[in-house]
Amino acid sequence: MINVAQVSKSYQRKLVLDDVSLEVPKGQIFGLLGPNGAGKTTLIRILNQMASPDRGKVYFNGHTIQKEDLQDIGYLPEERGLYKYMAVRAHLLFLAQLRGLSKLKAIENVDFWLQHFEIKDWQNKRIASLSKGMAQKVQFIAAIVHQPQLLILDEPLSGFDPLNVELIMNEIRALKAQGTTIILSTHNMKSVDEICDHAALLHQGHILAQDTVQNLRRTHAKGRIFVRFRGHMLSFANALWTDFTLLEQKETETGLFDCVLQIRGERSVNDLMRSLQDHVAVEHIELLLPSMQEVFVDLITQKENQDV
Amino acid sequence: MLVLGPIVVLLLLVALLKAADQGKQELNVLIADPGQIMDHRLMAQEEKNIHYFFLDDYLELDEFVRGKSYHDFDILVELNEKVLNNKKCFVFYKDQLGLDARMELKFQIEKRLEELIASQHSSLSEQAFRQIKQGIIFDFRDLQDPKNEAKEANAWAGFVLGAFILFFVGLYGMTIFRATVREKSNRIVEVLLASVRPQQLMLSKIVGIGLVALLQLFGWVLLLALGFVLLRQTLFLDVLDPSNWGQGGPERLNPLSTLVFEQLNLSFLFLHFVVFFAASFLFYGALFAVLGARSGADADGQQFLLPLIFLVSFGIFAGIYAINYPHTLLSQIFAYLPFSAPVLALITLAKGVSLAVYTKILLSLLVLVVSALLLLKLAGRWYKNSILKF
Repeated sequence: MINVAQVSKSYQRKLVLDDVSLEVPKGQIFGLLGPNGAGKTTLIRILNQMASPDRGKVYFNGHTIQKEDLQDIGYLPEERGLYKYMAVRAHLLFLAQLRGLSKLKAIENVDFWLQHFEIKDWQNKRIASLSKGMAQKVQFIAAIVHQPQLLILDEPLSGFDPLNVELIMNEIRALKAQGTTIILSTHNMKSVDEICDHAALLHQGHILAQDTVQNLRRTHAKGRIFVRFRGHMLSFANALWTDFTLLEQKETETGLFDCVLQIRGERSVNDLMRSLQDHVAVEHIELLLPSMQEVFVDLITQKENQDV
Repeated sequence: MLVLGPIVVLLLLVALLKAADQGKQELNVLIADPGQIMDHRLMAQEEKNIHYFFLDDYLELDEFVRGKSYHDFDILVELNEKVLNNKKCFVFYKDQLGLDARMELKFQIEKRLEELIASQHSSLSEQAFRQIKQGIIFDFRDLQDPKNEAKEANAWAGFVLGAFILFFVGLYGMTIFRATVREKSNRIVEVLLASVRPQQLMLSKIVGIGLVALLQLFGWVLLLALGFVLLRQTLFLDVLDPSNWGQGGPERLNPLSTLVFEQLNLSFLFLHFVVFFAASFLFYGALFAVLGARSGADADGQQFLLPLIFLVSFGIFAGIYAINYPHTLLSQIFAYLPFSAPVLALITLAKGVSLAVYTKILLSLLVLVVSALLLLKLAGRWYKNSILKF
């Protein structure tokens, strides 16, 4: 859907994006991750055509992105902004029409989303009279009201309480199910683990890693295995021999243990199964993948160590 | 503001016109001349609104203030018997005297006393002395306007209209500035720029606010026109109506009402007012928008406004200069400078123009419009670079 090809951008001689290339598959949720100052906002502004790259191109649905494509793009910026003295419905109608919807269609869509987010009772109230959470719902609606093909969300969950976080996450999943491609820029790694299909990690204007979330986690797996078994801990420990290190153990009920092991050398989960099968009754065994938070920290730390 | 503004303007106009009418109040002056020096006479020409009476005796102040027979007098002039030597007299007034009245009184008494001194020391007759003292009238005329057809009062009227343009431009320019700053500080601009180009956003703001200004202007003109008609029918009667004529012919009520109701071609001026306002607004609007984009917050931006306000005010000073020195090179330059062209154009139009002069005004309008368009283009670029810098 979106193809960023060797894009570079500088602001006042500071290189903010350096030869960045990434591909966002259609109908997927793509996590754009990176520490503060990595260049995420600049890249997002280039995608929204609020800024133009110094070098490189952006392709949208196979063609070089143009102003007309903005009608198919929805954007929720990190710094939320609304006209405080406009009424909710009037504001949403204004933004919907700005995105190319006819008045009738805008009315239809706005009314739907107000009803959906249960803020229809507030439609004639001024934005200034809304709570922060409600104002953010309004902003979320503004980003999706025109049914965009591509939705760019910059920290969509910040400022929401846990209930509304869940609500927004569900909406994102629902939009994906309808075929919307979503780029999610966030520091909330839990949400990346939960809903992103692909992710790219940006650091100091460079792409450090880009793959599906599963592959990124697998690539950075630390060789830890979770085992639940029935039997004796001594037998279990003996069966491990020197191939695996016991990191954690917990007896959840009499004779039932949860353990976390560290693989040593080139051993695998199958090797562990073979080692344990004659000694204890294994109920559950799982290769533990790192969270995206851990992947994120690992990659940044590696990069910084390399730079030093 | 739409209704209140014209009401305030009309009230001010009524006050001004009435003040012009009442500038010359009736005064009764009692000259206490115990020495009968003035012989109950003054110089030949007297102001019609000041009436002089003579008393051949001293008069106590208390008597003058409280006495029934002196109730109608406003001023007491005490001339002592040696006034021709000591050159001192006292003037007592009941109400504060205007400068005109003071000057007139001083002139009359001084001239009469001069006559008396001259007759004491020479053999000149009174008539001869008065002829000598008669001032020569110097009629200053511009070589380029030897028949003195240019009307200074009209020029000032044009200046007022031009100043109004700058006033409206400044007022609504500030609206553009504040709106831009507000959009930037509350970050709605980021949402908007995901849909429209920065130049489109800037231009739409300028045009939108400009249309509001024009709407207010039309509202003002409509209400003022209505007010003028009402004033004309009531307070300031038609001077061409014979029933309003005094003895001997039509009597002008006062110069200001004559100027407003007769001399100015208001519809012609208003049309050009609108055109020059629109062009000026585009020109200055671009600058206000760029300043707003470059400002972080409203308070920060105030410091950047000062140079712009000076630029707007420059037109005022240029207009005053052009009225006083209409044919200098500087005035010619001011007529084409976008900052001052509207004021100078309206000054010239108010005085009445030939085709050649009108062509020059159209040329200055063209320069203003082209400057506005170029500035809008440049400002669009500055706006784009600044609006997303927080």
